Amino acid sequence: MSLRPPEPEIAAAPAGDVEWTLVDQLLAEQRTLTAVERFSQWHEQGQHGGGRGQGTGDGYSHLMPAAPPGPGEQYRFEVNLDACTGCKACVSACHSLNGLDDDEAWRDVGSVIGGRRGEAWQQTVTTACHHCADPACASGCPVAAYEKEADTGIVRHLDDQCIGCQYCILKCPYDVPKYSKRLGIVRKCDMCVGRLREGEAPACVQACPTGAIAIRIVRIDAIQPESGSRLVPGAFDSAYTRPATLYRTTRPIPADARPADAGALRVEHAHWPLIWMLTLTQLSVGLFTALAVLALAGKPVPSAAVFSATGVLMAGLAVSVLHLGRPLGAWRFFLGLRTSWMSREILAFNALAGCATLASGAAFFGQDRFMPAILGLTALTGLASVFTSVMIYVDTRRPYWNAPLTAVRFFGTVLTLGTGAAAAVLGPDKSWLGTSMGLLALLHGWMQARVRRAWEDDDSPWNASARVIRLRLRGIMDSGDALFLTALLCGFCALITGGMASAVWAALYFSALLAGQVLDRMLFFTAAMGPRMTGGCRS
Amino acid sequence: MKLKLPAKAEALQKLVRQHGGPLTSRLVREPGAFGLGQVPSRLKPDAVTTAVCGFCATGCGLKLHLRDGHAVNLSADPAYPVNLGMACPKGWEALTPLDAPDRGLTPLLEGKPVTWQTAAGAFATRMKRILEEHGPESVAVLSTGQIVTEEMAFLGAFAKFGMGLHHMDSNTRQCMATAAVAYKQSFGFDAPPFTYADFEESDVLVFMGSNPCIAHPIMWQRVMMNRRNPKIVVIDPRRTETAQAATHHCAIRPKSDLVLLYGLARLLIEKGAVKHDFVEAHTTGYEAFAEFIEGFDAARVSRETGLTEARLHEIADLIAGHERVSFWWTMGVNQGHESTRTAQAIINLALMTGNMGRPGTGANSITGQCNAMGSRLFANATSLLGGHDAGKPADRAKVAGILGIPEDRIPPQSAVTYDQIIERIADGRIKGLWVLATNPSHSWIDSEACNRALEKLDFLVVQDMYPTTDTAKRAHLYLPAAGWGEKDGTFINAERRIGVVKKVRRAPGQALSDFNILRLLAEAWDGGGMFRGWTSPEAVFGILKQLSAGQPFDFTGIEDYSMLCKEGGIQWPWSAAEAQGSAGQPEGAAVQAGSAAVTSPPRERRLFADGRFFHTDGRAKFLFEAPRPLPEPTDNAYPFCLLTGRGTSAQWHTNTRTGKSDVLRKLHPQHCLVEIHPMDAALLRIRNQDRVIITSRRATVEATAILTPCVQPGQCFMPMHYEEVNRLTLASFDPHSRQPSYKACAVRIGRKVE
Repeated sequence: MSLRPPEPEIAAAPAGDVEWTLVDQLLAEQRTLTAVERFSQWHEQGQHGGGRGQGTGDGYSHLMPAAPPGPGEQYRFEVNLDACTGCKACVSACHSLNGLDDDEAWRDVGSVIGGRRGEAWQQTVTTACHHCADPACASGCPVAAYEKEADTGIVRHLDDQCIGCQYCILKCPYDVPKYSKRLGIVRKCDMCVGRLREGEAPACVQACPTGAIAIRIVRIDAIQPESGSRLVPGAFDSAYTRPATLYRTTRPIPADARPADAGALRVEHAHWPLIWMLTLTQLSVGLFTALAVLALAGKPVPSAAVFSATGVLMAGLAVSVLHLGRPLGAWRFFLGLRTSWMSREILAFNALAGCATLASGAAFFGQDRFMPAILGLTALTGLASVFTSVMIYVDTRRPYWNAPLTAVRFFGTVLTLGTGAAAAVLGPDKSWLGTSMGLLALLHGWMQARVRRAWEDDDSPWNASARVIRLRLRGIMDSGDALFLTALLCGFCALITGGMASAVWAALYFSALLAGQVLDRMLFFTAAMGPRMTGGCRS
Repeated sequence: MKLKLPAKAEALQKLVRQHGGPLTSRLVREPGAFGLGQVPSRLKPDAVTTAVCGFCATGCGLKLHLRDGHAVNLSADPAYPVNLGMACPKGWEALTPLDAPDRGLTPLLEGKPVTWQTAAGAFATRMKRILEEHGPESVAVLSTGQIVTEEMAFLGAFAKFGMGLHHMDSNTRQCMATAAVAYKQSFGFDAPPFTYADFEESDVLVFMGSNPCIAHPIMWQRVMMNRRNPKIVVIDPRRTETAQAATHHCAIRPKSDLVLLYGLARLLIEKGAVKHDFVEAHTTGYEAFAEFIEGFDAARVSRETGLTEARLHEIADLIAGHERVSFWWTMGVNQGHESTRTAQAIINLALMTGNMGRPGTGANSITGQCNAMGSRLFANATSLLGGHDAGKPADRAKVAGILGIPEDRIPPQSAVTYDQIIERIADGRIKGLWVLATNPSHSWIDSEACNRALEKLDFLVVQDMYPTTDTAKRAHLYLPAAGWGEKDGTFINAERRIGVVKKVRRAPGQALSDFNILRLLAEAWDGGGMFRGWTSPEAVFGILKQLSAGQPFDFTGIEDYSMLCKEGGIQWPWSAAEAQGSAGQPEGAAVQAGSAAVTSPPRERRLFADGRFFHTDGRAKFLFEAPRPLPEPTDNAYPFCLLTGRGTSAQWHTNTRTGKSDVLRKLHPQHCLVEIHPMDAALLRIRNQDRVIITSRRATVEATAILTPCVQPGQCFMPMHYEEVNRLTLASFDPHSRQPSYKACAVRIGRKVE
C-alpha cells in the first residue's frame, strides 16, 4: 500500500473580490479529512472486544502453540484443508499487515481438481514458505543469506546479505522466494517471526475467516517424508527439502487429483546475462581445451588464440555480474562453498580466470615451454568450471534441467564452439572445422530427438517443457534449426573453398554456430518450467 | 547453514553476515497500538477509525489506519459484529484502487478536460434541450448499488423531482430485483428477515445458486462458526467450493430449481412436515399451493432435475427432521427466467415448515452489492423514495411534505426497468442517459446489443471513478467521482445493518464525491432551490430518517453517524419508539444482548418473530406459477449450456476496481476462461489450458479452457468478470422482476488451432 504523493493545492480560496463559488467550496470540502475529529469520541476508545482479530486477542489461541519450540523442535504451518475454501484473505492480509510492495505476495492459493470419474472433487490450497527442515534455498545460496533459526526453525532470509542472484528461486521447488527488481534482492515469508515472539499470530493465521491456518510445533527430525510423498497432489517430492508444513484433510483425495493449472505453459525468464555468460565461458573453455590439445601434441599455439580465449572468458564473467541485483556483496561467495554449486561455480571460474591470465601472460612473454602445462591446467579447470555450471542447474531438480540433457548441452557447446573457434583462429583449419561440424550435427540431432520424444510422451518428466518449446517458443526453435542448416552450409563452403574465401566461410560458420548456441541457451532458460505449489489462477 | 566462527571473530562475522541494514529495516514491524498488534513500521498509524467496506453486501467493518487523517493501511475490525476481525481480499485491498493511475482527474467533455463549471453547464443545457424537445421520458438514469444511501436518495430526488424525468433504474436490477419483488409480494414489504447469526444457529442450511465461499467468504466464516454440527445442502449445477465444503451437494440441471422446490414442497406434505399451526395463523394461499404442487411427484422432479428420487427424499427428510432450517439464495436464483417464483418457492418452503422468525431459520436472500439494500429503499426508481408508492396519495403527500417540494413534482407513474430503458434507447425513445458507478457496456446481458444501443444516444453522461471503464469510454460527458474512502455516508448490508463509510483519503485532482457532484448539478440545473437543505450526507441522513418513519424499516431511533459507529452498525428497524422502549428489546427477538444501555439496539436482530408480516392482513402469501422451459435450450448447433457467475473472491463485477490492485490481480486469472468437463474436452480434443472459441447466437469469443469435473458434461462455466462473457449471454428476463437471466444460454465450443 503506497502513500499517495502530496496533492497540489488546487482549491485555495480565491483572493479579493472574486466570489467563492460552489465549485471552489466543494473542492475544498473534498480535500478536508475530518474523520478523526468527527468521530474522535469513538476512535480513542481503542479496541473493544468481539471477534478474533489482530494483536494478542485470545480469539485465535486454538491456532497457536502453547509454548515456543524446545530444542530440536520448530514452528510449522498446519493447514486444515477441510476449512480452506479459497477466499485468499490470507494472501491479502499478509501483504497489508507486512507492508509488502504493491506487487509482492508471500502467500498464494491454488487448487487441485480430481474425480473425473465418480464424484467431482476440488480443493483449494493456501501455501507459503514451508520452512523446510532441509531448505534448498539455503543450501543453494552462495552468500549464506538464508538462516534456519536455531530456536524457531523459521527459514529466514537476510535481506541485507542477499546479492540478488535469484538462485534460491530456482532451487525452491515451491516457488517461494520472490525477486524484487526495485530492491535487487529476494524476499520471502518469515512466518511473522516478530509477531510469534510477542505471542501474536502471523498475519495469515489472524486473517483466515475459517481458521484454516494454524501454527504448530514439530520435532525437526520427525520431518522425514518418504521419497515420492508430496504435500498435496502436484507438489514436488517432499523428500527433497523436507517441508515442515502439514496439510490435513478428512476428505479422501481422488487418485486422479492434479493441479488446476496442470498443462499450463509458462515461458520462464530468459536471464540474458546468464545466457551470454554460459555461451561465452563455454566457448572459452572449448577453445582453451582445443589449444591444450594442440600444445600437448607439441604443435605451436598462436598467441592470438590464447588472448581470444581469455578475452571471451573475461567478457562472459563480466556479463554475468549484470545478473546480480547487488553485485557488491558477491565477495562473500565463499560462505556457500560447503553446499552451494553457485559458490563452487564462482570459485571455479575465478580459478579459471587465474589460469587464463597465466596462459595469456605466458603467451605474451613467449614462454612456450610452459604452454602445454599451463594450457592443460587451464583446460582442466575450465572443464571443471563447466561441470559446476551443469551442476548449478541439475541441482535445481527442474525436469528440463536433468543431468544428461544439461551436460550434453553445455559440454556440447564446449566441443562445437571450441573446435569451431579453433578452426577459425588456426588458419582456417579444415580438420578442426570438420570435427566441429560433425559434433554440431550430432548435438543438434540428439537434442531434436530428445525434444520430439518428450513432446510425444505425455508421461515424460519434461513433456511440459517440450510443449512450451513447440507451442510457445516455436520461433526460437525454428530459428535455431535455420541457424544449424546455415552453419553446416557455411562450413561445407569453407571445406570446399580455399584461402580467403575459406576463412570467410569458416568465420560465417562460427558466427551461425555461436548464434545457434545462444538461441539454444535461451530455450534452456525459457522452457525450464519450474515446479511450484499447485496454482490455478494464471490463465 | 550456520557459519561456525570463534566468538572473538564476532566483528568479522558481522561484516561477513549482515543480519540488519537498510533492506532489512524496510520490513520491520512494531506494535501498532489501537488494538492492532504489530504493523509495518513504515505504515504505523497515529489514529484509527472504522468504515464499512465498499464492495459487497456483507458489509464488513474495516479499521482504517490513519496518519494525519489520511488512510495509509487498513485491517479488518475485530469489534464489528458482521465480520469479527476478518475480511476477504477485496476488503483488505479496499484502499488500493483509489491510487490507480487512471483515476479521473477532471471532467471530460467529448474527451477533452474541462472545468466543473463547463461540465455542469453542459449537463444542464444538453439534458434540458432533450427533455424540452422530447419530453420527460426521453432522458433516463442508470444508478448503482455502489454509492452511499444519501447519494442514492439525492440522485433519485434530483433526477425525478428536480430534472423531472420519469425513467430511472439501477444495476441492482441485475442482482437484487428478484429478491426485492419476491419479498414484497410474499411478505408485503421488501424485507430480508435474517441476521448473520442465523448462519451459526441453523441445524440445516440450504444454499441455492449460492457460492458464499467465493462470493461471500465472510458469511461462510459465520457458517463455519456454527457449533450445531449443521447439515449443509448446496443446490448448484456446479460443484463449487461451497458444494465441496457442504455435506450434501445436489448438482441439478441448470434452471430446474423451481421444479425441485415444488417437488420438495410436495414431499414435505407427504412426510407430514407441514407446520399447520404456523401456516393457518400467519399465511394465506396454502391450500391452493398444496393443490398446485400435486403434479410435482418425485418421479417427475427426478426426471427434470437429474437428481435421484432417493436424493430428493434425503433432502426433504433433512428439512422435515430438523428444528431450525434456513434457506439462502443468491444470484443462481435471482438471475433466472422464472426467478421471482423460484425465490418465492424457497419462501414457501420456509413458511410451510414454520422456519421463519426463529433463530437459524428463514428464507434469506444474500444480497450482492454493498448498498443494494440502500438502493432498494431509497433509489427512488421504481418505488417512491423510502419504499413508498407513488400511486398512493398519502405516500406522495408524506414524501413531498418531508422534502418540502410541491406534490406535483412527483411523477405519478412508476419508472420503466433497466431492460426497457436499453430497449427504448435502441428504438430512439430515450436520447439522453446518465450512468453512475456502473458499467453496462460490460455487465448488461447481450452486451453487444446494449453497446449498439448506447451508440445511438445524443448525450451519454458517465459519472465514475475511472474514465477508462468500457462505458465511460463511450461517454459524451465524463464526471470524475470520488470513491469509497473519499466520502461520507451510509450503506445498508444484507442483514439490514446500516453502517458508516468515512472520508479518509483526498480524492485525486478535481474528483468530487457523487454527493457533491449532485449539489453542483442541482445548482446548475435551477439554482438548487429544491435541495438547499441537502448540504451534507449526514444532513440527508436526517431526511432519510424522517422518510423511514412508520415504514417497516423505520430507523428514526438512530441518532447520527456517531451512534452507528459506536454500535457497530444498526439493523433496521430501529424506531424512536424502540429506542426509548422500556425493555430496550424490540419485537424481533434478540439473539444476543448488546451492551446494557437501554438505547443500544441488540447486536443481531431478525424479523417476523411474532409471525406478523407486512401485508395489511399481517399474513405472508404462498405464491406460485407453472415452471417454463429455458428460453434458449441447447441443441445440436449449440450443445453446451453456458453458466456464468463469480470467478474468484479477488474479483468484483466488471473488475474496474479489483483490476487496479496488483495483489488482487495475482489472485485471479488475467484472461477470460471457460471451465469444461474433461469428457466433453476429450471429445473436442481440448487439453487443459488450450485456447478455445466459444460461440453463441450473439457473438464469438476466445477463452482459456480449464478442464474440471466440477462442471457437468454438456455445461460450461465462465466468470462474469471478463468483458467477453456477456457478449454471449441471451437477453431474457424474469417477467415479474425484469432481472436478466444471466445463468443459462446455449453455446458451442471449439479448439482454437495453434
